[in-house]
Amino acid sequence: MEIQYIGEQLIPGQIGRLSVVTAFVAALTATIAYFIATQRGISPSGNSWKRTARIAFFVHAAAVLGIILSLFYILLNHRFEYQYAWQHSSMELPMKYILSCFWEGQEGSFLLWSFWHVVLGFVLMARAKEWEAPVMTVLAVTQAFLGTMLLGLYLGDYRVGSNPFLLLRETMDAPIFARANYLDFITDGNGLNPLLQNYWMTIHPPTLFLGFAATLVPFAFVIAALWKNDYKGWISQTLSWSLFATMVLGVGILMGGAWAYESLTFGGFWAWDPVENASLVPWLTLAGGLHALLIYKHTGRALKLTFILLSLTFLLILYSTFLTRSGILGDTSVHSFTDLGMSGQLIFFMMFFVVLAALFLVMRWRIIPSVKEEEKLSSREFWLFIGALILTISAFQISFSTSIPVLNKFLSAFRVIPLFENLFEKDLAPPVNPEQHYNSIQIWVAIIIVCLTGTVQYMRYKSSEMKKVLKGLIVPLVAAVIISLLAIFSLEIYGIQYILLLFASLFAVFANVGYLITVLKGRINVGGASVAHVGFALIMLGSLISNLNQKVISINNQGIDFGASFDEKNKRENILLRKDDPVQMHDYLVTYIGDSVSGPNNYYKVLYQRIDKKTGGISEEFILYPNAQINPKMGLIANPDTRHYLRKDIFTHVTSVPDKKAQEESAGVFEPDTVAMKDTFFIAKAFVVLEGLEPNPPASSQYQPVDGDIAVAARLKLQTLNGETYLAKPVFVIRDRSVLAFEAEVKELNVTFRIERILPESDKLILGVKQQEAESDFIIMKAIIFPYINLLWLGCLVMAFGILISIVRRVREGKRSRKVLS
Amino acid sequence: MKKTHIATLLIIVISMGVIIAKIGDYSSFETFSMAQNAEGKEFHIVGELAKPEEMLYEPENDPNFFSFYMKDKAGEERKVVFKGAKPMDFERSEQIVLTGKMEEGDFHASKILMKCPSKYINDKLEVTEVTASGI
Repeated sequence: MEIQYIGEQLIPGQIGRLSVVTAFVAALTATIAYFIATQRGISPSGNSWKRTARIAFFVHAAAVLGIILSLFYILLNHRFEYQYAWQHSSMELPMKYILSCFWEGQEGSFLLWSFWHVVLGFVLMARAKEWEAPVMTVLAVTQAFLGTMLLGLYLGDYRVGSNPFLLLRETMDAPIFARANYLDFITDGNGLNPLLQNYWMTIHPPTLFLGFAATLVPFAFVIAALWKNDYKGWISQTLSWSLFATMVLGVGILMGGAWAYESLTFGGFWAWDPVENASLVPWLTLAGGLHALLIYKHTGRALKLTFILLSLTFLLILYSTFLTRSGILGDTSVHSFTDLGMSGQLIFFMMFFVVLAALFLVMRWRIIPSVKEEEKLSSREFWLFIGALILTISAFQISFSTSIPVLNKFLSAFRVIPLFENLFEKDLAPPVNPEQHYNSIQIWVAIIIVCLTGTVQYMRYKSSEMKKVLKGLIVPLVAAVIISLLAIFSLEIYGIQYILLLFASLFAVFANVGYLITVLKGRINVGGASVAHVGFALIMLGSLISNLNQKVISINNQGIDFGASFDEKNKRENILLRKDDPVQMHDYLVTYIGDSVSGPNNYYKVLYQRIDKKTGGISEEFILYPNAQINPKMGLIANPDTRHYLRKDIFTHVTSVPDKKAQEESAGVFEPDTVAMKDTFFIAKAFVVLEGLEPNPPASSQYQPVDGDIAVAARLKLQTLNGETYLAKPVFVIRDRSVLAFEAEVKELNVTFRIERILPESDKLILGVKQQEAESDFIIMKAIIFPYINLLWLGCLVMAFGILISIVRRVREGKRSRKVLS
Repeated sequence: MKKTHIATLLIIVISMGVIIAKIGDYSSFETFSMAQNAEGKEFHIVGELAKPEEMLYEPENDPNFFSFYMKDKAGEERKVVFKGAKPMDFERSEQIVLTGKMEEGDFHASKILMKCPSKYINDKLEVTEVTASGI
């Protein structure tokens, strides 16, 4: 029998489901229509197909908007009959995090991605002119693929996609769903992962996904150029779009770093985590592709490299999608998505575009134009080419090490073949120390790249006079040497690779600033590249110094000595702070002065005081509030608090706190003890004498006599070591044939007594004694100083600003050249 | 051959060399007995918490000493020493991935990655029981 469920709102879900199907079908229609429009070219029938395609895309856009609005409605109104709302939100969640709930799940983040494609699609329709049809074909087919991720349809046994509009009762089998009013019992949702309850989580994913979406456009232009066999007209637009993608993706990645730094506790902004790597790798190939495109624009060379790198960028975005969403990183990363059983679908998505790009490239390989004669060593294009190549190699290395889990899957497939069964017997694991593994290689890449960004601008396309180039470089070189020497000694930087990177970054900063002033004469509107390169060098400088000179100041010197063999690994970076008990840490006297509760968060007040060595007075004082959520599902979620200075950050987070609930529970036990008259026994802070028994005691705060009571009180005298005395009288009563024991508490000593039994034959008592321990209030925390980390954030802003200048310049350039043509 | 070709080849050869040389950085998933045979070398070991009652963490004595017993995939139990604070909710972990090395019969972990059940994934339905009145 069908149950008529009470209180469910099915309309938003039905609108949502309808929109999902509409979005998919409309995207397919748009793909086909744009495909035919491209094939027909500029002709009446081509134009009419283009109109059809546009209508289909408008329908698609409306449907995507419909999905988003329905999902928002469900989340906003806490409709817990929907699985998505139940799983990702809860009643107490502040409104500002509803957005985070939206993209916490895979479905929502696919939607976000899809949404940006729609927005970019409109921009392309308005501006791409004759490129609209082929470029939009690629975009629409991508939208169709993303659409399948939300379908949730079954093809035989295989489920295609995961529909965000499933009802809770459809996804779960529980007896409660046999009740028509089951919704009355589901009063709250699962809630948002506390790690994601952070303002970065509301802005980082949209930015990153806009970056992801933006990489599709250069890729689509590559396909369009190959398809139409036109290798000139696409350059200007592709350049602007590649710059845009580089900027947004770069900022998105660093925002992820900022989020990790601000709210996670792995101590730093970059941990070479597979998820981070997965978004960095496409950025590297994109930067390479962007520079290759510049070579092609100015010299007609490196077209193949441009095609390969710009395609690779989008394919690597798809690969990173596969890595983070298929669950394959499970053992190696803490923050990938959970597996929704879509890996097959994700692989198909990726392979479709790999094959598409490969087919077009192979088909046109022989007719892709290239320049026969060699470039000169003194030409800008030669060194740009080297730079792009090195970025690609760097991307390859990071990708290779990140793909170990994928490699394992491959190898284990080979082991089935008898000949190979002993080959790679065991699963490979990622490097034990990933930071060291990646840094030891990537630091050399960084040194070369940063040097190139400083030098190559001074060179000209085709050929340059080396004397002139060197002349321009002398001042920045000398400045870099002087500042490096100062920095090496004042910051105590040792290690040849660090010194080289320090020098190279400083050189790049000076050289690019110098180029802006001396060569461009301060015309910043054409100096976007120089500004962006200054930003990149600052990023390198900031990460170098803050990582190399970061200092854990919460070094613990109490505790057991484990012998010399442990000292290297055993950094003892956590320190225990008892309440109101100051501890000297580095330059600061640090005291834990108490905690306060606000919502689900516990804020721990940590007072930092800097003592002036001369006067002995306090020269500086501030309080940090690292917080922790004792989350019933995830344990302790620590959020650091950071004191920002211009030149350094003091980063503090709690690693452990006493479980106050458990303390209260364990304190509530009466320990029985047999005591004779006039006996003396000890409790924690006093000794106790059982002076005698008092029949029929008078009323007390605990005991109210009733007629017919048989009552006895024990007189207990407590004498503290300080000479104070207290009296306690627990009462034992037989009332209506049942036994009652009235406790007597001495609050000053945190002790409670209770008579358990009276043994009249031996004149003894069994006395229960409950001693509360003095509440132990402490935190265990870690504090790190990051010097000069602000250089990194400044660098990020400068780089984004520089690229923005370039975008404006290239868009204007495009408009001008159009005018000249027409 | 063009200069760009030579440069390309050179860069590829050098970087391949570096990548191959760095393969030594990769660790492998092992068991305690394998780690015992190569004492002092670092491995990844997957297992689960054994003997929860023998877990030792006394922050008031030393906030950076935590020891427990883990059972590896082969069923062998070993004492594990971790020089750091005990991860909260460690008892609830379903699976533990340790990185570290064997020393004097104990496994010294430098990193602990634990997987708890239901980190916000299809949890059991949490239902507040309300007894209806008047029916």
